[in-house]
Amino acid sequence: MIRHTSRTPRLRRLGPLAGAGVATLLLTSCASGSSGSSAETQEFEDFDAVLEAAEGQTVDLWMYGGDEQGNAYVDEHLAPAAEELGVTLRRVPVTDTADALNRVLDERQAGREDGSVDLVWVNGPTFSTGQQAEAWRCGWTEMLPNMALTHPQDPLLTDDFGTPVDGCESPWHKAQFTYFYNSETVEEPPSTLPELLDWAGENPGRFTYPGPPDFTGSVFLREVMISQAGGAEEIPLQYSEENFEEFAPAAIQTLEELAPSLWREGSTYPRDEQALNELFTDGEVDYGMTYGPARLTELLDSGALPESTRVLPLEEGTVGNASFLAIPVNAADTAGAMAVANLALSPEQQALKANPDVWGQFTVLDLTRLDSADQTQFEELPSSPVVPSYEELSENAHSELDFDWVPALDEAWRESVGRG
Amino acid sequence: MLTAAPAVILVLLVLGAALIMVGLQSLGLMPVFGEPQLSLNAWADSTSLLESAGVSVYIATLSTVLSAGLGLLIAVYALTAGRGGRLVAAVSAATIPIPHLVASGAIGLLLADAGFLARLFGMPEGFPQLVATQWWTAVILEFAWKESAFVALVILGSISRSAMALSETASTLGASAWQRFCHVILPLARLPLVVSGLVVFVYTLGSYESPWLLGPLAPEPLSVRAVRLFGSTQLSARPEAMATALTSVVIAVLAIAVGLLLVRRSGDRS
Repeated sequence: MIRHTSRTPRLRRLGPLAGAGVATLLLTSCASGSSGSSAETQEFEDFDAVLEAAEGQTVDLWMYGGDEQGNAYVDEHLAPAAEELGVTLRRVPVTDTADALNRVLDERQAGREDGSVDLVWVNGPTFSTGQQAEAWRCGWTEMLPNMALTHPQDPLLTDDFGTPVDGCESPWHKAQFTYFYNSETVEEPPSTLPELLDWAGENPGRFTYPGPPDFTGSVFLREVMISQAGGAEEIPLQYSEENFEEFAPAAIQTLEELAPSLWREGSTYPRDEQALNELFTDGEVDYGMTYGPARLTELLDSGALPESTRVLPLEEGTVGNASFLAIPVNAADTAGAMAVANLALSPEQQALKANPDVWGQFTVLDLTRLDSADQTQFEELPSSPVVPSYEELSENAHSELDFDWVPALDEAWRESVGRG
Repeated sequence: MLTAAPAVILVLLVLGAALIMVGLQSLGLMPVFGEPQLSLNAWADSTSLLESAGVSVYIATLSTVLSAGLGLLIAVYALTAGRGGRLVAAVSAATIPIPHLVASGAIGLLLADAGFLARLFGMPEGFPQLVATQWWTAVILEFAWKESAFVALVILGSISRSAMALSETASTLGASAWQRFCHVILPLARLPLVVSGLVVFVYTLGSYESPWLLGPLAPEPLSVRAVRLFGSTQLSARPEAMATALTSVVIAVLAIAVGLLLVRRSGDRS
């Protein structure tokens, strides 16, 4: 072992280090220098021009990969239909939609104009975040012929978590927040959210919810806030600190008081919907909740949820939203992505996707705008043995609050209830 | 020195670039959008950063102590117990290629409240809570299981030949089993034990899967906090994610420095 190092070898040893440092500085500065000029993207005159440009393109659709029916629908139905347009559709599964956005942001930061993400199945928070960073391509959806089949004033399609859609994303399907319970252990299910919370207080250890910032847990938190305020119409959609101070504390307090009666005395919470489902299936808790009721049919069929699972309709209604497909500004295959988005909106694909045996996702189309042949496709859909129709589920539904409520509430929860 | 240059330069470039970027982002100098602006905001929430660091160091320390102890036991047994020992060595070596994610999932299925073990005992009331507890029991057990095999492998690989010969000699000279352990095997195993312990500490400090899957929601270790903030829908959380990651790197570097000091010392003595 060398004990005495003279000056020169040490300097020599530092040489590569300094070189590397300089090189990286150069690299990073180059990258941030070019990322500013990403505004110029390809423009199209009309949809025919889009279809022409789309031929031969490979579209990478980044989507949440944990939904097997969704994966199967894309692979077995959407992709073959895209192939007929000359577009290769490649599904890129991610564990969290935010990963797709992060990839886009990282590539933009590195100055890449031929981004590897062409199309993203986005939810409200991700869309909103992307809008902040101007990461989505805008004003392209009116060009899609099938957009004419949606209702232009449908509030679920004009705003996404309070962020105006502005043609920056194309609707894909609708979803309704849904609770479910185990009919074997719950004899008299509650019929409102306050009753459900009372039930949880009276039955220690039999109820819990995913801990925010998990998507599902975060929805539940907002539902509790809305319920404590006396209904969705009581809370201004717009977020402000005053509004937050007025409505959030009651929700946090309710959940704090409820915590000792929850699973594990509220010392910890399941981390996501899957973890809650596991507790539900293991018989540790009696209630579950999901923003994707479409999946319930398949989860019951496959045995992932017990046969005795029943949907719990609430009198006051639950929150509903739509999910969308968005194209990043730096997508390499924009035309192909647009062609796929239009295809996904076609009556055939929407009807196929609404079939509970395929995926069971509720359509975004306004059925009165379809011709009779297309309407029949929807009328002839088999119904699910578990999931009620969208009309029934979305009765008294309210829309999502502004996105800014989400992180503020989640953080307040983490700082109080989440610490157990 | 020159022969190592290609590897060293590559590592320094990749690691250096990453660390510089992380540092810049944590200081707000490389925002996802908007103008770069120097700010220490990401470092301002030092209480939760320190709390996370505490949790990480707690998990890493206990995991390291447990896996070093268990690993040493496995190695000694493998060295002294003949055929049975070779079997134990083979079984423990076989756990090494199992990815931590799979191992964590398996441990979760085994130890959860309604897991395999609880069911095996007929779901008794008193079955201890192991998964998602404030003591991180399941996380530490997972690390101890996987990393003890690694420690044992390193010890066996570096001392098996010399230890066998020396302890045979010692035993012909009348040394008891305990004396052979204390005066032959332990001194020989000290260096590989410290080195592999160091690797285990640094690895468990930065590891994500096991604390994420098997730990409670709060408080969170540095790795889990960094990933959560990085994936946050609030882009302003990015610098905080970078600050968290950097904290983890600093602790790891400090641990390596202390560990190398120990290695040098034990090298001096032997």
